[in-house]
Amino acid sequence: MRRTHRPLAALFAVSLLATLAVVLTCSLPQAAFGFEVAKCTARPNADTGSDVLGGVDTRITWEGQCADDESLTQLTLTLPEGTQYSLDDARVTMLTGEDLMTRVDVTVDAQMDGQTARFTFSEPTQPGGYFRIEIYDVFFPGSGGDMQLTGTYTLADESVHDIEGIPAIGVVNVSPAEQLSSWLESQDWVQQWNSNKFLRLFLNPPIIVSSFPVVFNGFLMAIGIVAVAFPLAIPFGLILALMRMARFRILRGIASLYVNVVRGTPLFLQIYIAFFGLPLAGVQIPPFPLGVIVLAMNSSAYLCEIFRAGIQSIPKGQFEASRSLGMNGAQTMLFVIIPQTVRRVIPTMTSEFILLYKDTSLLAAVGVMEVVMYAKTIVASTGSITPYIVAACFYLVITLPLAKLVGMLEAKLAGSDSGASGGGKRKKRSKKGAPAPALNEADALRRPDAMDGDFITPEQMSSL
Amino acid sequence: MQLKKWAALAAAGALAASLALFGCSSGDNGASDQPKDQNNDADAASYTLVKEGTLTVGTSPDYPPFENLDNGEYVGFDIDLAKAVADELGLECEFKTLQFDGIIPAVASGGQCDVGVSGFSVDPKRAKEVDFSDTYYIDDQAIAVMQGGSITKDNVDEALNAEGMIIAVQTGTTGADYAAENFPNATVQGFGNSTDCFAAMQSGQANAVITNKAVVEKMLEAYTEAEIVKSVATGEEYAIVVAKDNPQLTAAINEAIAKLEADGTIEELKAKNLG
Repeated sequence: MRRTHRPLAALFAVSLLATLAVVLTCSLPQAAFGFEVAKCTARPNADTGSDVLGGVDTRITWEGQCADDESLTQLTLTLPEGTQYSLDDARVTMLTGEDLMTRVDVTVDAQMDGQTARFTFSEPTQPGGYFRIEIYDVFFPGSGGDMQLTGTYTLADESVHDIEGIPAIGVVNVSPAEQLSSWLESQDWVQQWNSNKFLRLFLNPPIIVSSFPVVFNGFLMAIGIVAVAFPLAIPFGLILALMRMARFRILRGIASLYVNVVRGTPLFLQIYIAFFGLPLAGVQIPPFPLGVIVLAMNSSAYLCEIFRAGIQSIPKGQFEASRSLGMNGAQTMLFVIIPQTVRRVIPTMTSEFILLYKDTSLLAAVGVMEVVMYAKTIVASTGSITPYIVAACFYLVITLPLAKLVGMLEAKLAGSDSGASGGGKRKKRSKKGAPAPALNEADALRRPDAMDGDFITPEQMSSL
Repeated sequence: MQLKKWAALAAAGALAASLALFGCSSGDNGASDQPKDQNNDADAASYTLVKEGTLTVGTSPDYPPFENLDNGEYVGFDIDLAKAVADELGLECEFKTLQFDGIIPAVASGGQCDVGVSGFSVDPKRAKEVDFSDTYYIDDQAIAVMQGGSITKDNVDEALNAEGMIIAVQTGTTGADYAAENFPNATVQGFGNSTDCFAAMQSGQANAVITNKAVVEKMLEAYTEAEIVKSVATGEEYAIVVAKDNPQLTAAINEAIAKLEADGTIEELKAKNLG
């Protein structure tokens, strides 16, 4: 929380009221002077979006048009009580011309008079100017609310008039994170910490705190994207895998062309083509679904290869055995092969999920607001690397537990295949005993006796 | 197993600590050793450079007419200015391509480039990380839209400040700030560079682009169906970015800029690049 000088503020308020009263009495007789306020805004100072926060530094931009026959000697702007500001970097610009693009040099003396910023022109300005005043280092009160500025202008004849119709600036209540951030900034240990260049650039505590909730928005976005894209990619990848192993050459050709093109080009390029190319071809898809589709299509090519490897790792004897049981191709695939494949590919699929999750960062390039995009915006405006470190944490939150899970699944798989478990023993025995089909427990459990024996027809099976 | 875990944790901790220490010590070295080296030179220049005798300039060449690549050559106003400044300092000029938002961190951390010249406008937020030289150019903003759309010169202020409007901006630019401040109801969509902004607008992903006026004018040569609906004399001051621990370099650059300003070189370069 910033320190507020209460007694001073009160003093300012009194003097402010006094000046206002003077100003009002002066201006009442000659109302309806032509000074038109064009705008009064504050620069958004939340790390993203258009919100103006209290308690965080911002810049006020005020613009107004002077009447055609009036020239100014002084402008004042009075900031709401509790607002801190500095005139060190304040700027007054005078613009003229049809489109207000011509700058006129004006020399201005800026003075702080309590809450009132007084800009005195060295000589009366040329009539009909358009003025812009920018005041930097403005800290609105942390409680927020509508900030109403008031102001006066003094004409060449030394008459003082009120500036009417200044729009209020809506200031948002400062968020707890921002509050903590500015508190941290004023701490001694933080300043010590930040005096080290490395720590300041990479692990700046106030920026960690203030960027965390912002980057978190991107985290939700990234999670949302993979949560939709990955389940979409699975059936698509499976279909591709089956196509690649199909009997028809055309199906095989299509699938391998797709897989090779998608795996053979950078995802970054695919994203660019989809985002900038498709709309030109007349296909209009909003960024989120488009991002999901591109990632799902990309991932399905990799999943295709994972599934194919998984299916082909199932011993050929399994196919033969199922076929000999009278199952057709589809049944074999669906009831015998795929259930076994699933277990084998889960670790690799999890790795692919991790890759896909990390790849969401590439969508930042095309304006999808995910983790890296939010971090990038803060990096660009603060020049500190710290938001990227925060972003990295948001990736690790997901990837580390998943990597651990992959390890566990792999260990389990290895254990069940060749470890000391029952399954392993059974497999060994089957290898020794029956030379022809290498059995897996799935089938062995189904009909252990029958498999050892003679050929069984479906009719016999159903009669058993 | 448990022991291993602790060992791993300890190792990670040690690594982090050593990194931090390394950060400390390298910072100290940079402050104490290098100026001595420089002082040994006959030249009285006491600033540090990444590469002896060379001004290494970080730039993001995707911002014509200020900086872009033409057949692999760096061209543009900023490029010419950097060359002229290096010339004044008696240094070779070497450019290094970086992402726009990576230049200030690169300059601040040192080791990659000495200065950043990439259309940076002076900004108190940025000034926390780096120093700015004196201003060499005053910048205006412009709003571009596709011709024949619902946004025209007369209604741009209201029409664009509406729910559902998407304004494409380059991330981290003053144009992005301007859009967020003056069109709070619209969505401000950030892109990596100005070309992407225009590509997004042409493909219908955005309703308008707000960026530097000179950049918009240059882009309109390629995007002929786009037009400027509003120009704003925002008057941002472009300056060269220098590391905070290199104040002598800032001073030397300021001197060079003043000289180039006085002898008309800057005007000349403006005329050449900005038309």
